[in-house]
Amino acid sequence: MRYTDFSYHDIVLLLQGLGVSVALFAATTLIGLVIGLAWATLRYYRVPLLAPLAALLAELLKNSPVLVQLFLVFFGLPVLLEMDLTPVQAALITLSGNTAAFIYVIAVSAIESVGRDQLETARVFGLSRWQTLRRIVMPQAAAFALGPLAGLLVNQLQVTSLISVIGVVDLTKVGAILNLRTLKPFIVWTVIGLLYYLMARLIAAACARVEARLRAHRQWKGL
Amino acid sequence: MLSGECSLQFDLTSLTPYFGDLAAGARLTAFACALALAGSLILGILVALMRTAASTKAQRVANVYVDVFRNVPFIVQLFFLFYGLPEIGIELSALATGVLALSLAGGAFTSDAIRAGILAIEPGVLEAAQVSGLPRVAIYRRIVLPIALRSAVRPLGSVFVNLILTSSILSAITLNELTGSAKIVAADTFQPFEVYALLLVLYAVLTWLVSLAAGALHRRLNRNQL
Repeated sequence: MRYTDFSYHDIVLLLQGLGVSVALFAATTLIGLVIGLAWATLRYYRVPLLAPLAALLAELLKNSPVLVQLFLVFFGLPVLLEMDLTPVQAALITLSGNTAAFIYVIAVSAIESVGRDQLETARVFGLSRWQTLRRIVMPQAAAFALGPLAGLLVNQLQVTSLISVIGVVDLTKVGAILNLRTLKPFIVWTVIGLLYYLMARLIAAACARVEARLRAHRQWKGL
Repeated sequence: MLSGECSLQFDLTSLTPYFGDLAAGARLTAFACALALAGSLILGILVALMRTAASTKAQRVANVYVDVFRNVPFIVQLFFLFYGLPEIGIELSALATGVLALSLAGGAFTSDAIRAGILAIEPGVLEAAQVSGLPRVAIYRRIVLPIALRSAVRPLGSVFVNLILTSSILSAITLNELTGSAKIVAADTFQPFEVYALLLVLYAVLTWLVSLAAGALHRRLNRNQL
């Protein structure tokens, strides 16, 4: 007996997949943000050895397919280190690392966008390197970075769909399951695509709001 | 570096018998990417012209296309085509489906780069062409596209790099391109870490070379500017 019709339970399944995708996206974005900013700080302080290593690692992660990184972590790491790794753990590690690499690139260019003269002025006023970073560089760099960051977040949301390949039951995997059972690819993949589209739109709108706020001081308020 | 503190050693020599398989996969990746590059360039030029056209209807249609293909994950687009097309009687091979999906997704990003190139053309140049009485087709073919494409080479290079990285997802529809053949090699040798680490470096070197080439081409084509 085959259950080829859509049922009420499919909506529950869809919501579950949506929850897994959103949760993994949020978790890896946060972890990636922390690691990426830490890498960028290494560069800001010009830490010998670690700074160029971070740059090389970021370049390698940025220029290779996420799918291969995912396979390396999920299939490769357990063999190399003789340990067990669940698909969700592998997805967390890979996506966090990948996000961190892109955050690093954005953070570095944002820090560089702050003029050298400002750094020199801060130094003349006797601010320490950390104070300069905290009070002068960060507020301006944050406003500069938000545009690229919004693009990155929308992109990383789409990248989460790849974890379905290693067996995490996210939104795409739910789509694959429903597709195989109902054999109605057009309806299934349209619904899945629409859900991703709406999420991407939501992220872009949220980023635009924050950006407008950070840039408020630049806006012409009238005389 | 990679084997430093690990219990197992990092041994690439036992993979040498499989280099032929990997090379075959790489050739398929190159072939698919070349076709997809051509497809997305054609599509990207058309869509960019529509997005910069005077007609708001053409603009709207093109914007919807770009919006949809940029905001839906590639793997969902791929599955939509791979499972959906046979449903409406279009039987394509995995390779053809993959190239079609890559071209459609690449077209959206390509059109962005070309559109930026078109918008960067000085209005005076177009006005001069119109005043000289050139027909519209000639203005597009002789003036708009050469200038726009020339200034878009570097951004197009990064779109192409992304296309190569995205092509690894074609392994999900049974196509044994570079990533797909590496999967087989990893299963055969029981050395997944070595295989995928090698693959990662291969892709990184390949895309690095492509972006170097795009940069060089960009400088060469724009050598008379500024």
